[in-house]
Amino acid sequence: MDNYLLSLFQLCDSNLPTGAFSHSFGLETYIQENKVHDKDSFSEWLQMYVLGQLVYTDGLACRLAFEGLEQSDAQSIWSLDRKITVQALPRETREGTHKIGERMLTIGNDLYPSPLLTLYKEKTRNGEAFGHPAIVFTIIAHQLKIPLNVILSTYLYSSISSLTQNAVRGIPLGQTAGQFILRDIQQWITKAVEQIRTMDIADFGAVAPGLEISQMKHERVLIRIFMS
Amino acid sequence: MLRLNMEKKRDKTVTKQVYFQGAFKILRPHYLDNSGQACYFLINPGGGYLDGDRYRMEITLEEHAELILTTQSATKVYRTPYTPVLQESEIVLKKGSILEYIPDPLIAYRNAKFKQNTIIRMESGATLFYSDILTPGWSPDGEWFRYDLLQLKNEIYLDEELVLFDHLKLQPIEAGVNGIGYMEGYTHLGSMIVISDKVNEDVLQRLYNVIEKDLDECKAGMSLLTEGGFTVRILAHSTQKIEELIAKCSTFLRKEWYDRQPVTLRKY
Repeated sequence: MDNYLLSLFQLCDSNLPTGAFSHSFGLETYIQENKVHDKDSFSEWLQMYVLGQLVYTDGLACRLAFEGLEQSDAQSIWSLDRKITVQALPRETREGTHKIGERMLTIGNDLYPSPLLTLYKEKTRNGEAFGHPAIVFTIIAHQLKIPLNVILSTYLYSSISSLTQNAVRGIPLGQTAGQFILRDIQQWITKAVEQIRTMDIADFGAVAPGLEISQMKHERVLIRIFMS
Repeated sequence: MLRLNMEKKRDKTVTKQVYFQGAFKILRPHYLDNSGQACYFLINPGGGYLDGDRYRMEITLEEHAELILTTQSATKVYRTPYTPVLQESEIVLKKGSILEYIPDPLIAYRNAKFKQNTIIRMESGATLFYSDILTPGWSPDGEWFRYDLLQLKNEIYLDEELVLFDHLKLQPIEAGVNGIGYMEGYTHLGSMIVISDKVNEDVLQRLYNVIEKDLDECKAGMSLLTEGGFTVRILAHSTQKIEELIAKCSTFLRKEWYDRQPVTLRKY
């Protein structure tokens, strides 16, 4: 067994207190508008979320952070941190991601400390960096000598798994339906990892406009169980 | 290629330097009211953009200069089978300057490929109103044309720090693009970016209250940036709908911040 495997389980476990369970990243707007209402419509939404947004933002950010770390280029990490943060135009999505990033930085710094992670945390505290979960995750994983393919697929899985649990509560769906989705999405994760690895870096930050507007509209959704 | 440099002389914004070459042309500046704000009409290439065309625009507003920059008509992108049309812009806004950039829509015809990279460098105290509208062209049989690619990137720096990175990449030929999350059955996409140290939550809420009743027949969202600015994104079925919403936003802010009348551009 690879000796990073158990650490990886811990980092991807939904019990890791990052606060991801409070964020729907626009899904709640679709639920309120009854556009997402059952297993199939959620499954379609989730595929779009992964292949239309996550690969261009968090996914590509994991790869770019990994490449920066391989070349010991800390400066590239700080500019990536800013770029991916200001790329999120919907405020709640940006601030939600920022909160998750900060929590992950704190936990990561306690459990798997490294000089770079400590510096990242300091910069975030001083307002010189924002703190983004994709970058924090990659720094921890890189330090544990986890290969890029595994970093990408586990990061995507962890994001998708939190969102699916939120969908189970929010739509609501049965627990079993949620598990079917998590099985079926595996083929999309494989596809997404391939896409991220071969993507032109000029594609960084491309958004799916309908999703982005729904993330903005969530600010004015009246009854809400999620913060984004 | 177009290079334009504007400065404020007494109460009026005047041209410090203007240079154009190739297809891009501009007329003499207009003054739409007595505020001293200049207005330039950009004239696009008559036949529209073709394969491999490259355009570059460099605009500088010196301290306290005020400019409205618009186009005389829609920008048309025709079939571009090989190399995408590329439009690059670099805009510098010095302290206290105001730029209102209100172009006509970009119309993309069958197999059009268009890329636009815009970099805007602002000093604090400068103000930007930026908008754009992306639309597909009609074919003679009344169908919407399917363009191949529209890719637009905006980078905005405030005192040399990146404050906005906006990247739209639309490829209708790819499966699923009309579906949930993408165009969602709409055909037209509009964006507005406002950067100003006067932007706050209260202004945005009052602006929302003004346009809220006009949000039928479209899907629109607005949100604050990390500092001093907000964006609006609109999906709709027509150019008019988007123009109407953008004009409402502009009218509200011009009145609120400068006590000025709405911009009325008589083009035709």
